[in-house]
Amino acid sequence: MTRERKNLVGEIFFYILIAIIAIYLLFPFYWAAISALKTEAELVRTPATFFPQNPTLQNFRAVLSNPDFLRGMLNSLIVAGFTTLLSLLVGAFAGYALGKLRFRGRTPSLYLILAMTMFPQVAVLAGLFQVINAVKDIAWLNIPTMVFLILIYMLFTLPFTTWVLTSFFKGLPDSLLQAAQVDGATFTQTFWHVLLPLTAPALVTTGLLAFIGAWNEYLFALTFTLQDPGSRTVPVAISQLSGRIARQEPVGEIMAGALIITVPLVILVLIFQNRIVDGLTAGAVKG
Amino acid sequence: MAVASQKAKGNKGGRSELAKAEERTAFWLLFPTLLLLLLIGIYPLGQVFYLSLTNKRFASAQETQFIGLSNYANLLGMTLRELPVETDDAGNPELDENGNRQYVNDRLFLRRLDTERAFDTVSTFNLFGTRYVLGATNADFLKSIWDTAVFAVSAVFLETVLGLIIALALARKFFGRGLMRTAMLIPWAIITVVSSLIWEWMFKSDRSGFFNAFFEQLGVSSGNTVWLVNPALQMPSIIAIDVWKTTPFMALLLLAGLATIPKELYEAAEVDGASKIRQFFSVTLPLLVPTLAVALIFRTLDSLRVFDLFQIVFGESRYSMATFAQFQLVASKDMGLSAASSVIIFFIILVFAILYMRSLGVDND
Repeated sequence: MTRERKNLVGEIFFYILIAIIAIYLLFPFYWAAISALKTEAELVRTPATFFPQNPTLQNFRAVLSNPDFLRGMLNSLIVAGFTTLLSLLVGAFAGYALGKLRFRGRTPSLYLILAMTMFPQVAVLAGLFQVINAVKDIAWLNIPTMVFLILIYMLFTLPFTTWVLTSFFKGLPDSLLQAAQVDGATFTQTFWHVLLPLTAPALVTTGLLAFIGAWNEYLFALTFTLQDPGSRTVPVAISQLSGRIARQEPVGEIMAGALIITVPLVILVLIFQNRIVDGLTAGAVKG
Repeated sequence: MAVASQKAKGNKGGRSELAKAEERTAFWLLFPTLLLLLLIGIYPLGQVFYLSLTNKRFASAQETQFIGLSNYANLLGMTLRELPVETDDAGNPELDENGNRQYVNDRLFLRRLDTERAFDTVSTFNLFGTRYVLGATNADFLKSIWDTAVFAVSAVFLETVLGLIIALALARKFFGRGLMRTAMLIPWAIITVVSSLIWEWMFKSDRSGFFNAFFEQLGVSSGNTVWLVNPALQMPSIIAIDVWKTTPFMALLLLAGLATIPKELYEAAEVDGASKIRQFFSVTLPLLVPTLAVALIFRTLDSLRVFDLFQIVFGESRYSMATFAQFQLVASKDMGLSAASSVIIFFIILVFAILYMRSLGVDND
């Protein structure tokens, strides 16, 4: 066999491998999509069809007119949105202090925050449950469940945003800071007018990752909305979806709902993909 | 002279004044973060430690009592016994039609033991011709630890191997590479609850499910495999779901690690006449070890905490450590027991967290 011939065979195997990987990664997504387009009768047909015979949008219509699902979407947007904004704001303060200022207790603070990023959330579940019930018993405060969720989600978003922003601030040249100091700017002025504009790209990436984390969260949402179904976020809503048209488990509607809540996220991820990959690998790979 | 010394003094005073101001600023910038973490992390954790020593029940009028380590004794109580052989009236071992010895039923045997707490079977196994039974006062919890460990080790191992293959394939420049890198983010971007629901549907127990339809058409099964119900198939199925969801993340980490290996090393190896396989073992793998170590520990940490996947796919039929603790809290309303199981989970994960921090290292400059 000549060398060229051998190369060609290698090439073909390589592309077959790539194709297998692509199918593996995308197939479940395809299966969800065709299931969402099938009629109820076709969904229970055996054997399952690999293409929808009479594609229909009725599952999408059904799920989009399901008040529980819509409520869940809205609740998730509110909870994930506020969690992200608060974590970015508070995390940027802390990240600036840890990345750029000299003070006693810096290293212990860094260790504490890194430790918090891998905190097992189930470890505080019973404690948070206790605290929330105690605060809720104070009737005149009347705090909505979603406020608790926003605060609790900071448990995993805040250490993460702080950690990433710390390393980002550390990477900014000190000369910028000194120049601002020479011009007579206070620390606060330097922070708002020099450093924050420079961190905008890092804020977008970190914010997106924090948003995905909060949008994804299930353990706390499931546990704390148990007595308050109106506050259910979308992961809880979709896992407990009861059908409007289907007699049994509304698989078609669940798949349609799955696509509806996934597609916007996937589009966002695809737009920011390079930054996300950098953000995900920032902590783990030392260049 | 006087002026100069005053000036020097003033300068010194000014600098330390500046350093003090910097420290004050740092304190106020860190204050909101530390306060929040205290309120939502450290205080509730303290509460959990305290609750674990009580018999507090949620939504109950029963008075809470301090019961010491009794919850822990319940969760971790174990016994290992030799299972006696079934004997006939003459004292000879009873044999079945194949000539095998008949053992006493393990459940009944454990029930008949005269102990303070009742034991349930965790598992039975044979060793050197003797049959043993492992009993526990809370078989569900011990099983959840075992299942979570099996899940974490197998899933992390498989996704590392697959992730490495994908990363190596994608490290090459080829037509459609950008598209592939994009496709890899899709499993990662899907909400875990949603991907669990999709896979649960694909694993449906009749031929309206993908896997049953597929394997039936291949002729390797009858098309009625109960993937998520049969105890022997439950773990492989759930591991497959997790591997699909997290392999892309692993591949992305490893791809970034591969990018840090200098090209000159490969050129030098090429000149020395090293084969591709030799290059992989002598250059790629050793230089990838730091990335691999971090990724491995990080993923192990993550899979030990698994909740969403087990909750959606198995509900109460099989627990992970986290679903066990959550179930004890919301369904059994047993806060004390739930808290004690949380404390145990906390310490198991702490060990891995310390390993992770060691391998990552905090910059002390």
